Amino acid sequence: MLSRVASSLYWLSRYVERSDGMLRMIKINYASSQDSIQEFTWRPIIKIFSSDDEHELLAIQHDSRAVIEYLLLNRENPNSILNIVTLARENARSVQEHIPKDLWQCLNEYYHTVKDPNLLWYVQKDDPITALDILIRQVMVYHGTSDSAMERGESRSFMKIGKHLERSIQSIDILDIKFSSISGNPDLLTDIAYWKHLLLSIGGYELYLKTYRQGFDVKNIIELVMLNDDFPRSALYSINNIDRYFSRLKSESNIVHYNNLSFKIGRLKSMITYSSVHTMEEQQLHQFLTEIRSELFGIGNLLNEYYFANS
Amino acid sequence: MENFIGNYQNSQNTYDEMFLNNDNYRNHYLNFINNFSKESLDNLNKKEELAKKLFMSQGITFTVYDSGEGIEKIFPFDIIPRILTASEWSFIEKGITQRLKALNLFLKDVYSNQFIIKDNIVPINVIYSCPHFLREMYNVQVLHDIYIHIAGIDLIRDYDGTFYVLEDNLRTPSGVSYMLENREITKRLFPDLIPQCGVKSVTEYPAILYRNLLALSPRAVSNPTIVLLSPGMYNSAYYEHTTLARLMGVELVEGRDLVVKDQKVFMKTTIGLQQVDVIYRRVDDDYLDPLVFNPNSVLGVAGLMGAYRKGNVAIVNAIGNGVADDKAVYTYVPDMIKYYLNEEPILKNVPTYQLSNPDELDFVFQNINKLVIKKTNGSGGYGMLMGHSASEQEITEYKAEILKDPRNFIAQPTISLSSAPCFINGKLAPRRIDLRPFALNGPDGISIVPGGLTRVALKEGSLVVNSSQGGGSKDTWVLTS
Repeated sequence: MLSRVASSLYWLSRYVERSDGMLRMIKINYASSQDSIQEFTWRPIIKIFSSDDEHELLAIQHDSRAVIEYLLLNRENPNSILNIVTLARENARSVQEHIPKDLWQCLNEYYHTVKDPNLLWYVQKDDPITALDILIRQVMVYHGTSDSAMERGESRSFMKIGKHLERSIQSIDILDIKFSSISGNPDLLTDIAYWKHLLLSIGGYELYLKTYRQGFDVKNIIELVMLNDDFPRSALYSINNIDRYFSRLKSESNIVHYNNLSFKIGRLKSMITYSSVHTMEEQQLHQFLTEIRSELFGIGNLLNEYYFANS
Repeated sequence: MENFIGNYQNSQNTYDEMFLNNDNYRNHYLNFINNFSKESLDNLNKKEELAKKLFMSQGITFTVYDSGEGIEKIFPFDIIPRILTASEWSFIEKGITQRLKALNLFLKDVYSNQFIIKDNIVPINVIYSCPHFLREMYNVQVLHDIYIHIAGIDLIRDYDGTFYVLEDNLRTPSGVSYMLENREITKRLFPDLIPQCGVKSVTEYPAILYRNLLALSPRAVSNPTIVLLSPGMYNSAYYEHTTLARLMGVELVEGRDLVVKDQKVFMKTTIGLQQVDVIYRRVDDDYLDPLVFNPNSVLGVAGLMGAYRKGNVAIVNAIGNGVADDKAVYTYVPDMIKYYLNEEPILKNVPTYQLSNPDELDFVFQNINKLVIKKTNGSGGYGMLMGHSASEQEITEYKAEILKDPRNFIAQPTISLSSAPCFINGKLAPRRIDLRPFALNGPDGISIVPGGLTRVALKEGSLVVNSSQGGGSKDTWVLTS
């Protein structure tokens, strides 16, 4: 496979995953902003998803519609859904003959949906959740189509690696931000709504209730988000999948490159697998998460160097 | 039906494809009209809407960049097909086959022995003054002696219905994806109509092209690597490139995906370098190899020409074909047909005045109102002067331009172009059309898929069908009997 094509497939999948994570998080945040939660703020979301102008943004942190419009549709915001979906589509457009026609049409439609003026109207004047649901549905159609139509081969492996890399970085980021907010406000530790909200925004609420019967506990939450292999957004689940899909590239790889990267993925996998909630106690959690994040970035960089010919 | 015809007015001195006169249809349209007239106006408007939606959702668009933001546009499509009879088609087929044979022999000749120059059929200065005549191609061995693998020869019809060749596009003719897509859309718009009317299929095109490309591999390997070289996704024909790559199952590459090593071409893959055998390029000659041609090109591959000359890679179409579709050389195509094939030309040329000839220049300046003046290396409808509609000032400026270098211009009488009914604002209205059939030339001979791209000038009264000048397209039907 062409290096450029592999790179585009990987990035298109990362961008779709990023948009998915963002949309879900925005939706839950909006819902809780309607739910007179004590001291509700968009601050953590803004921190994760915007790179510049943080101060300016924090000024609108209590104006939900303004924040949503900024996160969804602002052209100047490089991380807006509009820009991310555009990038996903541009990547898909440049590899159209490597993905099923249906999948290309999904992404094309996703793009046109984001640009649809009706969407802005929902955000500004009507129910913003409708807008978010319309977009989330587009991603669901994308996932369904890619699962049922994508050939099982190299292309799909690159897309899966991209998806899980993006997903694990997102889960780690949200955990990190949520926990770092606690240090300034210890009351949050026992605030049920705060934790429920965290779990909802990464879709782990129901699983948490089923797994842990004794209510909300910080350790259990860390365990679920980091170590539960049945939770599709946990760090462990993602790294296992990165490992799984990367190992499928073996026969199509330069063996030295493959071994180097495989070593790095294996090491990260062990690091997460053989850690426990105790070892990532609250105080060192930030350090632990930072380390994992930098390992994940390292994997991305090596993929870039070895497979996408951008060394 | 009457509702839609309204006051369909046949322009004077124009051949209409559907109407014999204002009361009678041509026979080959009857079947279509009987079915079509059952549709309500409402339904037709819906169909037009559906067509737009289908183009949009499939991403069959080109992007216009305006104030930094890309705007997606669709190439306008008219829902009424253009219909050709079996006998019209067989005439076209014979004519294009003959013309292509002669043009291919001409390229072989002009890049080797140059008999046609020595025998004074084509003047030497016409050849050597052509910017697309590439000395780099001299004595290059081209596999099977095929230079023109793909041609899109533009045909028009004068007031009496006679077909004329307007230009020979022998470099990187585009539009074939619209021929394929337009047919797919028509199938959705008018269910059952195509089998009822007996229309020949066009779907074979990618398979024939692939078979021809496969046969060109210089390496004797069972599974040669064929690539389609595109300038990239910002090119206006990018949709076509991806469609063809997908339909043939070949790799779509850009210049930056390729590298030349030891006079062989390789593509950069996730596992390392992989040798490339056949390149179907959609990049112009000038941009192909920065070492030989335009040194600023980033679309091409350094060293590609060396690999080609060495015979390590096949390039489709051959490099240097521009000398054969130059508008000044065009005048000599009927002579070429007589010279190389000893046959009378089947398809006529539009009478053409060479402005490099002082007598003809004089004549043209005196009759400029009746003529169209074109640049010999222009395309896309740019840089043309339509004498009948140009202002005094435009004419004066254009004359000055011509006098700088008359070789760069030719003049032709205004051919009225045939008209065909189009569905415009809920009514049928006549619009001018042309026809570009796509011919494929391989070791097994020349094949032309029955159909082609009918371009239509959507502006009322306009004679310019190019998409860059407000043109659209129609599905093109060739009937089985």
